Amino acid sequence: MAYHSFLLEPISCHAWNKDRTQIALCPNNHEVHIYRKDGAKWSKIHELKEHNGQVTGIDWAPESNRLVTCGTDRNAYVWTLKGNVWKPTLVILRINRAARCVKWSPKENKFAVGSGSRLISICYFEQENDWWVCKHIKKPIRSTVLSLDWHPNNVLLAAGSCDFKCRIFSAYIKEVEERPSPTPWGNKMPFGELMFESSSSCGWVHSICFSASGSRVAWVSHDSTLCLADAGRKMGVATLCTETLPLLAVTFITENSLVAAGHDCCPMLFTYEESQGALTFGGKLDVPKQSSQRGLTARERFQNLDKKASSDTANATLDTLHKNSISQISVLVGGKDKCSQFCTTGMDGGMSIWDVKSLESALKDLKIK
Amino acid sequence: RTGEALRAFHTAIRSNPGNTRNQAMKEQAQGTMLKVLTSFKSSEIEQAVNSLDRNGVDLLMKYIYKGFEKPTENSSAILLQWHEKALAVGGLGSIVRVLTARKTV
Repeated sequence: MAYHSFLLEPISCHAWNKDRTQIALCPNNHEVHIYRKDGAKWSKIHELKEHNGQVTGIDWAPESNRLVTCGTDRNAYVWTLKGNVWKPTLVILRINRAARCVKWSPKENKFAVGSGSRLISICYFEQENDWWVCKHIKKPIRSTVLSLDWHPNNVLLAAGSCDFKCRIFSAYIKEVEERPSPTPWGNKMPFGELMFESSSSCGWVHSICFSASGSRVAWVSHDSTLCLADAGRKMGVATLCTETLPLLAVTFITENSLVAAGHDCCPMLFTYEESQGALTFGGKLDVPKQSSQRGLTARERFQNLDKKASSDTANATLDTLHKNSISQISVLVGGKDKCSQFCTTGMDGGMSIWDVKSLESALKDLKIK
Repeated sequence: RTGEALRAFHTAIRSNPGNTRNQAMKEQAQGTMLKVLTSFKSSEIEQAVNSLDRNGVDLLMKYIYKGFEKPTENSSAILLQWHEKALAVGGLGSIVRVLTARKTV
Protein backbone atom coordinates (compact mmCIF):
# COMPACT_ATOMS: atom_id res chain seq x y z
CA MET A 1 0.00 0.00 0.00
CA ALA A 2 1.59 3.22 -1.10
CA TYR A 3 0.83 6.24 1.05
CA HIS A 4 1.91 9.74 0.10
CA SER A 5 1.34 12.77 2.28
CA PHE A 6 0.65 15.72 0.02
CA LEU A 7 -0.39 18.32 2.54
CA LEU A 8 -1.06 18.96 6.18
CA GLU A 9 -4.58 20.15 5.28
CA PRO A 10 -7.44 18.05 3.99
CA ILE A 11 -7.57 17.16 0.32
CA SER A 12 -11.02 18.46 -0.63
CA CYS A 13 -11.31 16.41 -3.81
CA HIS A 14 -9.11 14.73 -6.42
CA ALA A 15 -9.18 13.33 -9.94
CA TRP A 16 -6.73 11.25 -11.97
CA ASN A 17 -5.80 11.61 -15.61
CA LYS A 18 -6.23 8.72 -18.06
CA ASP A 19 -2.89 6.95 -17.59
CA ARG A 20 -2.76 7.68 -13.86
CA THR A 21 0.48 9.63 -14.06
CA GLN A 22 -1.06 12.90 -12.92
CA ILE A 23 -3.42 13.75 -10.10
CA ALA A 24 -5.39 16.99 -9.77
CA LEU A 25 -6.39 17.89 -6.24
CA CYS A 26 -7.71 20.80 -4.24
CA PRO A 27 -5.57 21.58 -1.18
CA ASN A 28 -8.50 22.95 0.84
CA ASN A 29 -8.40 26.37 -0.83
CA HIS A 30 -9.49 28.12 -4.02
CA GLU A 31 -6.94 26.42 -6.25
CA VAL A 32 -6.40 23.14 -8.02
CA HIS A 33 -2.90 21.69 -8.01
CA ILE A 34 -1.79 19.08 -10.52
CA TYR A 35 1.01 16.73 -9.49
CA ARG A 36 2.94 14.40 -11.75
CA LYS A 37 4.52 11.15 -10.70
CA ASP A 38 8.31 11.25 -11.03
CA GLY A 39 9.48 7.83 -10.04
CA ALA A 40 8.66 7.55 -6.37
CA LYS A 41 8.08 11.25 -5.89
CA TRP A 42 5.26 13.60 -6.82
CA SER A 43 6.12 17.00 -8.25
CA LYS A 44 3.67 19.86 -8.69
CA ILE A 45 3.45 20.87 -12.34
CA HIS A 46 0.40 23.13 -12.52
CA GLU A 47 -1.57 25.47 -10.31
CA LEU A 48 -5.04 26.31 -11.56
CA LYS A 49 -6.27 29.56 -10.04
CA GLU A 50 -9.63 30.79 -11.16
CA HIS A 51 -12.16 29.94 -8.49
CA ASN A 52 -13.14 32.48 -5.83
CA GLY A 53 -14.27 29.89 -3.36
CA GLN A 54 -13.16 26.47 -2.23
CA VAL A 55 -13.08 23.91 -5.01
CA THR A 56 -15.52 21.19 -4.00
CA GLY A 57 -15.39 18.88 -7.00
CA ILE A 58 -12.90 17.93 -9.74
CA ASP A 59 -13.37 15.46 -12.57
CA TRP A 60 -10.86 14.60 -15.30
CA ALA A 61 -12.26 13.32 -18.58
CA PRO A 62 -9.93 10.50 -19.65
CA GLU A 63 -10.45 10.62 -23.43
CA SER A 64 -10.75 14.33 -24.13
CA ASN A 65 -8.28 15.24 -21.35
CA ARG A 66 -10.43 18.06 -20.03
CA LEU A 67 -10.86 18.98 -16.40
CA VAL A 68 -14.08 20.26 -14.90
CA THR A 69 -14.03 21.91 -11.49
CA CYS A 70 -16.80 23.36 -9.37
CA GLY A 71 -16.66 25.40 -6.21
CA THR A 72 -18.41 27.26 -3.46
CA ASP A 73 -18.27 30.39 -5.63
CA ARG A 74 -21.29 28.92 -7.49
CA ASN A 75 -19.24 28.47 -10.67
CA ALA A 76 -17.86 25.64 -12.73
CA TYR A 77 -14.92 25.82 -15.12
CA VAL A 78 -13.99 23.47 -17.94
CA TRP A 79 -10.20 23.43 -18.36
CA THR A 80 -8.46 22.46 -21.61
CA LEU A 81 -4.74 21.94 -21.94
CA LYS A 82 -3.27 24.30 -24.56
CA GLY A 83 0.41 23.64 -24.93
CA ASN A 84 1.57 23.52 -21.35
CA VAL A 85 -1.11 25.73 -19.85
CA TRP A 86 -4.60 24.86 -18.63
CA LYS A 87 -7.10 27.39 -19.96
CA PRO A 88 -10.43 27.76 -18.12
CA THR A 89 -13.85 28.30 -19.65
CA LEU A 90 -16.56 29.56 -17.34
CA VAL A 91 -19.82 27.62 -17.28
CA ILE A 92 -22.86 29.53 -16.03
CA LEU A 93 -24.66 27.14 -13.74
CA ARG A 94 -27.48 29.52 -12.75
CA ILE A 95 -27.34 28.43 -9.13
CA ASN A 96 -27.49 30.64 -6.08
CA ARG A 97 -25.71 28.33 -3.64
CA ALA A 98 -22.39 26.52 -3.62
CA ALA A 99 -21.71 23.74 -6.11
CA ARG A 100 -20.80 20.52 -4.29
CA CYS A 101 -19.90 17.82 -6.78
CA VAL A 102 -19.25 17.43 -10.50
CA LYS A 103 -18.98 14.43 -12.83
CA TRP A 104 -18.28 14.05 -16.54
CA SER A 105 -20.67 11.70 -18.31
CA PRO A 106 -19.12 8.49 -19.73
CA LYS A 107 -19.07 9.91 -23.29
CA GLU A 108 -17.70 13.23 -21.97
CA ASN A 109 -20.19 15.31 -23.95
CA LYS A 110 -21.88 16.63 -20.83
CA PHE A 111 -21.32 16.93 -17.12
CA ALA A 112 -23.54 17.18 -14.06
CA VAL A 113 -23.10 19.51 -11.08
CA GLY A 114 -24.84 18.99 -7.75
CA SER A 115 -25.34 22.05 -5.58
CA GLY A 116 -26.79 23.52 -2.44
CA SER A 117 -29.53 25.11 -4.55
CA ARG A 118 -31.32 21.76 -4.35
CA LEU A 119 -30.93 21.04 -8.02
CA ILE A 120 -28.64 19.36 -10.51
CA SER A 121 -27.23 21.31 -13.45
CA ILE A 122 -26.65 19.23 -16.58
CA CYS A 123 -24.23 21.12 -18.81
CA TYR A 124 -23.49 20.46 -22.46
CA PHE A 125 -21.60 22.33 -25.16
CA GLU A 126 -23.69 24.26 -27.68
CA GLN A 127 -21.72 24.34 -30.92
CA GLU A 128 -23.46 27.34 -32.59
CA ASN A 129 -22.87 29.74 -29.70
CA ASP A 130 -19.58 28.17 -28.69
CA TRP A 131 -20.39 28.01 -25.03
CA TRP A 132 -21.63 25.66 -22.33
CA VAL A 133 -25.36 25.65 -21.63
CA CYS A 134 -27.07 24.07 -18.66
CA LYS A 135 -30.44 22.54 -17.88
CA HIS A 136 -31.77 22.03 -14.38
CA ILE A 137 -33.27 19.01 -12.69
CA LYS A 138 -35.22 20.28 -9.69
CA LYS A 139 -38.14 18.10 -8.73
CA PRO A 140 -38.40 16.45 -6.28
CA ILE A 141 -35.03 17.29 -4.67
CA ARG A 142 -35.53 18.92 -1.30
CA SER A 143 -31.97 19.59 -0.14
CA THR A 144 -28.30 19.86 -1.18
CA VAL A 145 -27.11 17.30 -3.71
CA LEU A 146 -23.91 15.85 -2.25
CA SER A 147 -22.91 13.20 -4.77
CA LEU A 148 -23.48 12.15 -8.36
CA ASP A 149 -22.67 9.18 -10.56
CA TRP A 150 -23.49 8.46 -14.20
CA HIS A 151 -24.93 5.23 -15.58
CA PRO A 152 -22.81 3.73 -18.41
CA ASN A 153 -25.55 4.59 -20.92
CA ASN A 154 -24.66 8.29 -20.58
CA VAL A 155 -28.27 9.21 -19.80
CA LEU A 156 -29.17 8.07 -16.31
CA LEU A 157 -27.71 9.93 -13.35
CA ALA A 158 -27.79 8.87 -9.71
CA ALA A 159 -27.88 11.63 -7.13
CA GLY A 160 -27.44 11.40 -3.36
CA SER A 161 -28.81 14.28 -1.38
CA CYS A 162 -29.10 15.76 2.11
CA ASP A 163 -32.83 15.01 2.14
CA PHE A 164 -31.77 11.42 2.95
CA LYS A 165 -32.68 10.01 -0.46
CA CYS A 166 -30.90 8.43 -3.38
CA ARG A 167 -32.53 9.15 -6.72
CA ILE A 168 -31.94 8.16 -10.33
CA PHE A 169 -32.87 10.77 -12.92
CA SER A 170 -32.77 10.84 -16.67
CA ALA A 171 -30.36 13.50 -17.95
CA TYR A 172 -31.15 12.90 -21.60
CA ILE A 173 -30.14 15.90 -23.72
CA LYS A 174 -31.60 15.57 -27.19
CA GLU A 175 -29.11 18.08 -28.64
CA VAL A 176 -26.11 15.88 -28.01
CA GLU A 177 -27.28 12.30 -28.14
CA GLU A 178 -29.63 9.68 -29.52
CA ARG A 179 -32.67 8.48 -27.66
CA PRO A 180 -31.52 5.83 -25.15
CA SER A 181 -32.69 2.24 -25.32
CA PRO A 182 -34.70 0.79 -22.41
CA THR A 183 -32.82 -0.17 -19.26
CA PRO A 184 -33.79 -2.19 -16.17
CA TRP A 185 -34.51 1.18 -14.51
CA GLY A 186 -37.27 2.09 -16.95
CA ASN A 187 -38.20 2.56 -20.59
CA LYS A 188 -39.19 6.17 -21.04
CA MET A 189 -36.44 8.61 -20.14
CA PRO A 190 -37.37 12.22 -20.93
CA PHE A 191 -35.12 14.83 -19.37
CA GLY A 192 -35.62 15.14 -15.62
CA GLU A 193 -37.70 11.97 -15.28
CA LEU A 194 -37.38 10.33 -11.86
CA MET A 195 -36.61 6.67 -12.49
CA PHE A 196 -36.00 5.58 -8.90
CA GLU A 197 -36.19 7.07 -5.45
CA SER A 198 -35.13 5.31 -2.27
CA SER A 199 -37.31 5.31 0.81
CA SER A 200 -35.87 7.43 3.57
CA SER A 201 -32.88 6.26 5.44
CA CYS A 202 -32.03 8.72 8.16
CA GLY A 203 -28.80 10.27 7.03
CA TRP A 204 -27.36 12.56 4.39
CA VAL A 205 -26.29 10.50 1.40
CA HIS A 206 -22.57 11.19 1.20
CA SER A 207 -21.61 9.11 -1.78
CA ILE A 208 -23.30 7.14 -4.50
CA CYS A 209 -22.01 4.74 -7.15
CA PHE A 210 -23.40 2.77 -10.08
CA SER A 211 -22.01 -0.70 -10.69
CA ALA A 212 -20.10 -1.29 -13.93
CA SER A 213 -23.16 -2.71 -15.66
CA GLY A 214 -25.40 0.04 -14.33
CA SER A 215 -28.02 -2.34 -13.00
CA ARG A 216 -27.04 -1.70 -9.36
CA VAL A 217 -26.54 1.49 -7.43
CA ALA A 218 -25.02 1.71 -3.95
CA TRP A 219 -24.91 4.62 -1.53
CA VAL A 220 -23.61 5.39 1.94
CA SER A 221 -25.38 7.68 4.32
CA HIS A 222 -24.68 9.47 7.57
CA ASP A 223 -26.65 7.10 9.76
CA SER A 224 -23.84 4.54 9.31
CA THR A 225 -25.68 2.51 6.71
CA LEU A 226 -24.74 1.18 3.30
CA CYS A 227 -27.59 0.56 0.84
CA LEU A 228 -27.78 -1.07 -2.56
CA ALA A 229 -30.66 -0.95 -5.04
CA ASP A 230 -30.76 -3.75 -7.59
CA ALA A 231 -32.73 -3.12 -10.77
CA GLY A 232 -32.51 -6.82 -11.50
CA ARG A 233 -34.55 -7.51 -8.36
CA LYS A 234 -37.31 -5.03 -9.14
CA MET A 235 -35.30 -2.17 -7.59
CA GLY A 236 -35.27 -3.93 -4.22
CA VAL A 237 -33.08 -2.15 -1.69
CA ALA A 238 -30.67 -4.04 0.58
CA THR A 239 -29.58 -2.13 3.67
CA LEU A 240 -26.70 -2.87 5.98
CA CYS A 241 -26.45 -1.09 9.34
CA THR A 242 -22.72 -0.95 9.91
CA GLU A 243 -20.93 -0.97 13.24
CA THR A 244 -18.61 1.77 12.17
CA LEU A 245 -18.72 5.53 12.09
CA PRO A 246 -20.48 6.95 9.01
CA LEU A 247 -18.91 6.17 5.65
CA LEU A 248 -18.15 9.02 3.26
CA ALA A 249 -17.19 7.32 0.01
CA VAL A 250 -18.15 4.12 -1.78
CA THR A 251 -17.27 2.42 -5.02
CA PHE A 252 -17.88 -0.92 -6.71
CA ILE A 253 -14.76 -3.00 -7.36
CA THR A 254 -16.58 -5.94 -8.92
CA GLU A 255 -20.24 -6.39 -9.71
CA ASN A 256 -20.78 -7.89 -6.23
CA SER A 257 -18.15 -6.22 -4.07
CA LEU A 258 -17.89 -2.71 -2.76
CA VAL A 259 -15.19 -0.78 -0.98
CA ALA A 260 -16.30 2.03 1.29
CA ALA A 261 -14.43 4.32 3.68
CA GLY A 262 -15.21 7.20 5.94
CA HIS A 263 -14.74 8.57 9.42
CA ASP A 264 -13.08 5.37 10.63
CA CYS A 265 -10.10 6.24 8.40
CA CYS A 266 -10.01 2.75 6.97
CA PRO A 267 -11.39 1.27 3.72
CA MET A 268 -13.70 -1.69 4.20
CA LEU A 269 -15.00 -4.43 1.98
CA PHE A 270 -18.70 -5.21 1.58
CA THR A 271 -20.26 -8.02 -0.43
CA TYR A 272 -23.66 -8.18 -2.08
CA GLU A 273 -25.34 -11.57 -2.21
CA GLU A 274 -27.70 -11.40 -5.17
CA SER A 275 -29.65 -14.55 -4.37
CA GLN A 276 -30.65 -13.28 -0.94
CA GLY A 277 -30.57 -9.60 -1.78
CA ALA A 278 -28.39 -8.94 1.23
CA LEU A 279 -25.26 -6.93 2.00
CA THR A 280 -22.60 -8.24 4.34
CA PHE A 281 -19.48 -6.75 5.88
CA GLY A 282 -16.39 -8.35 4.41
CA GLY A 283 -13.67 -6.94 6.63
CA LYS A 284 -11.39 -3.97 7.12
CA LEU A 285 -8.78 -3.53 4.43
CA ASP A 286 -6.26 -1.64 6.54
CA VAL A 287 -4.93 -4.11 9.03
CA PRO A 288 -1.75 -2.71 10.51
CA LYS A 289 1.11 -5.07 11.19
CA GLN A 290 1.04 -6.10 14.83
CA SER A 291 3.58 -3.93 16.57
CA SER A 292 5.44 -5.78 19.25
CA GLN A 293 3.46 -5.66 22.45
CA ARG A 294 5.87 -4.48 25.06
CA GLY A 295 4.57 -5.11 28.52
CA LEU A 296 3.39 -2.22 30.65
CA THR A 297 5.38 -1.46 33.73
CA ALA A 298 3.45 -1.30 36.98
CA ARG A 299 3.91 2.47 37.02
CA GLU A 300 2.40 2.85 33.55
CA ARG A 301 -0.47 0.63 34.51
CA PHE A 302 -1.34 2.79 37.52
CA GLN A 303 -0.95 5.92 35.43
CA ASN A 304 -3.41 4.52 32.92
CA LEU A 305 -5.86 3.68 35.67
CA ASP A 306 -5.51 7.14 37.11
CA LYS A 307 -5.76 9.09 33.86
CA LYS A 308 -8.16 7.00 31.82
CA ALA A 309 -9.83 4.78 34.42
CA SER A 310 -9.01 1.77 32.31
CA SER A 311 -6.32 -0.86 32.34
CA ASP A 312 -6.60 -1.11 28.57
CA THR A 313 -3.23 -1.41 26.88
CA ALA A 314 -4.58 -0.17 23.55
CA ASN A 315 -2.66 2.58 21.84
CA ALA A 316 -4.14 6.05 21.78
CA THR A 317 -2.86 6.74 18.28
CA LEU A 318 -4.50 5.51 15.07
CA ASP A 319 -2.96 2.42 13.55
CA THR A 320 -4.46 2.97 10.11
CA LEU A 321 -2.59 4.44 7.12
CA HIS A 322 -4.82 7.48 6.97
CA LYS A 323 -4.72 9.50 10.15
CA ASN A 324 -8.00 11.25 9.53
CA SER A 325 -11.28 10.57 7.74
CA ILE A 326 -11.16 9.30 4.17
CA SER A 327 -13.35 11.52 2.02
CA GLN A 328 -12.99 10.11 -1.50
CA ILE A 329 -12.27 6.80 -3.22
CA SER A 330 -11.45 6.47 -6.92
CA VAL A 331 -10.86 3.40 -9.06
CA LEU A 332 -7.45 3.49 -10.72
CA VAL A 333 -7.02 0.29 -12.68
CA GLY A 334 -9.54 -2.22 -13.91
CA GLY A 335 -12.76 -0.24 -13.91
CA LYS A 336 -15.65 -0.86 -11.55
CA ASP A 337 -16.09 -4.48 -12.58
CA LYS A 338 -12.51 -5.77 -12.20
CA CYS A 339 -10.80 -3.18 -10.07
CA SER A 340 -7.22 -4.09 -9.22
CA GLN A 341 -6.13 -0.75 -7.76
CA PHE A 342 -8.01 2.03 -6.06
CA CYS A 343 -7.00 5.28 -4.42
CA THR A 344 -8.20 7.04 -1.27
CA THR A 345 -7.69 10.66 -0.20
CA GLY A 346 -8.60 12.10 3.11
CA MET A 347 -8.68 14.91 5.58
CA ASP A 348 -5.14 14.14 6.69
CA GLY A 349 -3.89 15.48 3.34
CA GLY A 350 -2.68 12.05 2.32
CA MET A 351 -3.30 9.89 -0.72
CA SER A 352 -3.09 6.13 -0.58
CA ILE A 353 -3.05 3.60 -3.40
CA TRP A 354 -4.41 0.14 -2.58
CA ASP A 355 -3.65 -2.98 -4.57
CA VAL A 356 -6.47 -5.53 -4.52
CA LYS A 357 -4.27 -8.57 -5.18
CA SER A 358 -1.90 -7.68 -2.31
CA LEU A 359 -4.87 -7.16 -0.01
CA GLU A 360 -6.28 -10.55 -0.93
CA SER A 361 -3.02 -12.29 -0.14
CA ALA A 362 -2.32 -10.28 3.01
CA LEU A 363 -5.75 -10.66 4.59
CA LYS A 364 -6.56 -14.33 4.34
CA ASP A 365 -10.25 -14.06 5.22
CA LEU A 366 -10.96 -11.58 2.47
CA LYS A 367 -13.27 -12.90 -0.22
CA ILE A 368 -13.83 -10.63 -3.16
CA LYS A 369 -16.56 -12.06 -5.40
CA ARG B 1 -35.86 -15.51 38.00
CA THR B 2 -33.36 -15.04 35.23
CA GLY B 3 -35.76 -16.43 32.71
CA GLU B 4 -38.48 -14.00 33.73
CA ALA B 5 -36.26 -10.95 33.38
CA LEU B 6 -35.15 -12.11 29.93
CA ARG B 7 -38.75 -12.75 28.83
CA ALA B 8 -39.83 -9.34 30.10
CA PHE B 9 -36.92 -7.82 28.19
CA HIS B 10 -37.91 -9.43 24.92
CA THR B 11 -41.52 -8.50 25.37
CA ALA B 12 -40.60 -4.89 26.06
CA ILE B 13 -38.44 -4.80 22.93
CA ARG B 14 -41.13 -6.39 20.79
CA SER B 15 -43.92 -4.16 22.02
CA ASN B 16 -42.11 -1.00 21.01
CA PRO B 17 -44.91 1.31 19.80
CA GLY B 18 -42.96 2.04 16.61
CA ASN B 19 -44.06 4.94 14.53
CA THR B 20 -46.41 6.68 16.90
CA ARG B 21 -46.81 10.35 17.76
CA ASN B 22 -48.70 9.59 20.93
CA GLN B 23 -46.40 10.99 23.61
CA ALA B 24 -48.19 9.19 26.45
CA MET B 25 -47.70 5.84 24.74
CA LYS B 26 -44.02 6.57 24.19
CA GLU B 27 -43.50 7.55 27.82
CA GLN B 28 -45.24 4.43 29.02
CA ALA B 29 -43.00 2.28 26.82
CA GLN B 30 -39.92 4.14 28.09
CA GLY B 31 -40.96 3.63 31.69
CA THR B 32 -41.61 -0.07 31.20
CA MET B 33 -38.30 -0.52 29.42
CA LEU B 34 -36.42 1.32 32.16
CA LYS B 35 -37.99 -0.92 34.81
CA VAL B 36 -36.97 -4.03 32.89
CA LEU B 37 -33.43 -2.80 32.31
CA THR B 38 -32.86 -1.86 35.94
CA SER B 39 -34.19 -5.19 37.16
CA PHE B 40 -31.35 -7.10 35.52
CA LYS B 41 -28.32 -8.34 37.42
CA SER B 42 -24.99 -7.20 35.95
CA SER B 43 -24.00 -10.74 35.04
CA GLU B 44 -27.16 -11.31 32.99
CA ILE B 45 -26.87 -8.26 30.76
CA GLU B 46 -24.46 -9.73 28.24
CA GLN B 47 -26.65 -12.76 27.56
CA ALA B 48 -29.68 -10.53 27.03
CA VAL B 49 -27.85 -8.29 24.55
CA ASN B 50 -26.51 -11.27 22.61
CA SER B 51 -30.03 -12.59 22.13
CA LEU B 52 -31.01 -9.56 20.06
CA ASP B 53 -30.74 -9.06 16.32
CA ARG B 54 -29.26 -5.95 14.69
CA ASN B 55 -32.52 -3.96 14.82
CA GLY B 56 -33.05 -5.01 18.42
CA VAL B 57 -29.61 -3.71 19.41
CA ASP B 58 -30.32 -0.38 17.70
CA LEU B 59 -33.64 -0.15 19.52
CA LEU B 60 -32.04 -1.04 22.86
CA MET B 61 -29.42 1.68 22.33
CA LYS B 62 -32.21 4.22 21.74
CA TYR B 63 -33.90 3.20 25.00
CA ILE B 64 -30.59 3.37 26.87
CA TYR B 65 -29.96 6.94 25.76
CA LYS B 66 -33.57 7.84 26.54
CA GLY B 67 -32.96 6.44 30.01
CA PHE B 68 -29.86 8.62 30.34
CA GLU B 69 -31.98 11.67 29.56
CA LYS B 70 -34.13 11.20 32.64
CA PRO B 71 -31.90 9.73 35.34
CA THR B 72 -33.41 8.29 38.49
CA GLU B 73 -31.79 7.08 41.74
CA ASN B 74 -29.74 4.19 40.49
CA SER B 75 -30.62 4.03 36.85
CA SER B 76 -27.44 5.50 35.37
CA ALA B 77 -25.13 2.87 36.82
CA ILE B 78 -27.02 -0.07 35.40
CA LEU B 79 -27.66 1.78 32.15
CA LEU B 80 -23.93 2.34 31.72
CA GLN B 81 -23.39 -1.40 32.01
CA TRP B 82 -26.09 -2.00 29.42
CA HIS B 83 -24.42 0.62 27.23
CA GLU B 84 -21.06 -1.13 27.43
CA LYS B 85 -22.51 -4.48 26.38
CA ALA B 86 -24.69 -3.00 23.65
CA LEU B 87 -21.72 -1.05 22.28
CA ALA B 88 -19.66 -4.23 22.07
CA VAL B 89 -22.31 -5.79 19.84
CA GLY B 90 -23.66 -2.79 17.91
CA GLY B 91 -20.47 -0.79 17.54
CA LEU B 92 -20.27 2.96 17.10
CA GLY B 93 -22.74 2.67 14.23
CA SER B 94 -25.57 1.91 16.65
CA ILE B 95 -24.84 5.13 18.57
CA VAL B 96 -24.71 7.10 15.30
CA ARG B 97 -28.14 5.71 14.44
CA VAL B 98 -29.50 6.91 17.81
CA LEU B 99 -28.26 10.40 16.95
CA THR B 100 -29.58 10.47 13.38
CA ALA B 101 -32.88 8.67 13.94
CA ARG B 102 -35.98 10.66 13.00
CA LYS B 103 -38.31 8.35 14.92
CA THR B 104 -37.33 8.41 18.58
CA VAL B 105 -38.47 5.88 21.12
